[in-house]
Amino acid sequence: MAGLLKKRLQILYTKLLAALQTMPRDATYRKHTEQLVNERFHHVRTEPNVEKLEEKINCGQIEEVIFQAECELSLSRKMAEWKPWEPLIEEPPADQWKWPV
Amino acid sequence: MAAALVRFVRGGLGRSFNIARSSCLLQQQIRAQSVSTESPPTIRPKDAVTHNQLAAFGEYVAEMMPKYIQQVQVTSFNELEVMIHPNGVIPILTFLRDHTNAQFRNMIDLTAVDIPTRQNRFEIVYNLLSLRYNSRIRVKTYTDELTPLDSAVSVHFAANWYEREVWDMFGVFFSNHPDLRRILTDYGFEGHPLRKDFPLSGYVEVRYDDEVKRLVVEPIELAQEMRKFDLNTPWEVFPAHRELKEPAPKLEAGENAPEKK
Repeated sequence: MAGLLKKRLQILYTKLLAALQTMPRDATYRKHTEQLVNERFHHVRTEPNVEKLEEKINCGQIEEVIFQAECELSLSRKMAEWKPWEPLIEEPPADQWKWPV
Repeated sequence: MAAALVRFVRGGLGRSFNIARSSCLLQQQIRAQSVSTESPPTIRPKDAVTHNQLAAFGEYVAEMMPKYIQQVQVTSFNELEVMIHPNGVIPILTFLRDHTNAQFRNMIDLTAVDIPTRQNRFEIVYNLLSLRYNSRIRVKTYTDELTPLDSAVSVHFAANWYEREVWDMFGVFFSNHPDLRRILTDYGFEGHPLRKDFPLSGYVEVRYDDEVKRLVVEPIELAQEMRKFDLNTPWEVFPAHRELKEPAPKLEAGENAPEKK
């Protein structure tokens, strides 16, 4: 069972890294997410015991970690469409964020 | 004193009288002490750790999505606020929901603020909660009466009724909303009651008419055409609402490494 979960996690992380490869190299989202995923991937590969793995990742149970990886994967695919690393599309009108008015 | 009185009721008169008197004496002593030592005024203690964490996370988010984020700030009550361009509603909310370091999966509130003097008079506010990291974030954007805003229902289902409410109360149109119709006002109601230019008394009056035996809706009639209330006090009412001499430093997407929350 544990092997199955880890297998799933490994597939997800491989896909995620592949999705990140399509982004420009200097995109901050790619940098931070790659760092995060590599760290977790390293733990998944080196730690055979699931409970210790959960402790090392420190983000909930392994099923939750899988769910997070799934979310991140779908997000990274959407991110490639949105391209949020580009400069600001439009400055706010003057005094838009001024408070008190 | 109250405890002594309770005892007075419960126990006998003679026994409790002494207790009551002694507790009175004790209280007087405490009062005398507190007068002599001047206590400092009650000020909200500064929580530098939380503030720095929030600021670091704000910078992290601003660094990731510079295309949509216009400004990030941490308020004096340690609330993180992200001001975004209206085109970025879906990307930012999805990013905050799905990114592993954010996980803001719950939409707590969605509302609007009407500030008629601004060019974009409506400010739309999203309050999100991350159960994983036990933290909250506020996302703000802006629009005017005619510009539709992307509906957040595809990201958070909770936004459905909130957006209907904002549509009903302010008249902000949300595009791609599955079911955008009136939610709070009555059938046939006209206008958006929470707009600042909507009169306090409304435009129509609904009452039961005994002669025609049904509800009638008629334009409101006030006994006085207009009444001027001069309720302004000569004092400054909200001194804390003056503009700060040194505005809080804007958080920019900096080079310093962001902390994980």
